[in-house]
Amino acid sequence: MAAQVFSVSEVKHLLDQGAQLVDVLSEDEFEHDHLPGAINIPLKQLDATTASRLDRNRPVLVYCNDFG
Amino acid sequence: MLDYVPGKTAWYEDNQPREGKAVDEIWIGDVAGSDVPTCGLADRIGEVRRRTGDWDTCVVVDPEGVVLGLLRQKELAADPLATAEAVMRPGPKTFRPNVTLQELLKSMRDHEIQTNSLVTTAEGRLLGVISRADAEATLAHEQAAQTRTDS
Repeated sequence: MAAQVFSVSEVKHLLDQGAQLVDVLSEDEFEHDHLPGAINIPLKQLDATTASRLDRNRPVLVYCNDFG
Repeated sequence: MLDYVPGKTAWYEDNQPREGKAVDEIWIGDVAGSDVPTCGLADRIGEVRRRTGDWDTCVVVDPEGVVLGLLRQKELAADPLATAEAVMRPGPKTFRPNVTLQELLKSMRDHEIQTNSLVTTAEGRLLGVISRADAEATLAHEQAAQTRTDS
C-alpha cells in the first residue's frame, strides 16, 4: 500500500466522494474516539474475512493514530 | 486502499469532529472563544487598543490566521505609534484543540497561568482562546452536572 500524506481537506473530499474510513486501532481505542463514520477493523484482525465488510467499489481510507 | 498517514491526531488537531466516548469529554477546541481580537504585524498599538475594547489580549496573526505573537495589557499600553511587531511577545505558548479541559487546567495550575491560553491547530492557525477563569468555571459546571447524573 502506498503511503500518502493527505491533508484534512483532502480527506473530507475523499469522504464526500464516498470513500470508506477504516480505523485500524484497537477496539478500546476506537470506542473512546474515532473519526465520524469510521468503521473499526483492528490491524491484527485485518484479513480477507474482516475486509469483506468493505465495499470493493469504493475507495478505502485507513488510519491509525499518527505518523508513528 | 489509501493510507491517511497523519492519522486521527492530525484530524483532531485541526479541530475536526469526533465520535465515541470522547464526545462526552470537554476538549478545549469545543469551548475556546473565537471572538478574541487579532491584529497584524504592522498594525499600530493605538489602533489595536481601540479595537480590543475590554479585552486584555490581542493575538498577532499573519494573513492566514497563524499566530505570530501576543499583546497583553503591558504591550497594549505601549507607545500608540509602535507596531504590534515591535512590542509583541513572539511565539506564545499554544495548546491543541484536542487537549482536554482537565489537561489544560493542570498545565495552567502547574505553570501558574492566570491569563488567556491560545488554542491553535498544529500549523499554528488560531482557533480561539480560553481563560483560566472560564476553564475553571466550565469544568466545575461539568463536574456538578456529572454528580447530579450519578446520584
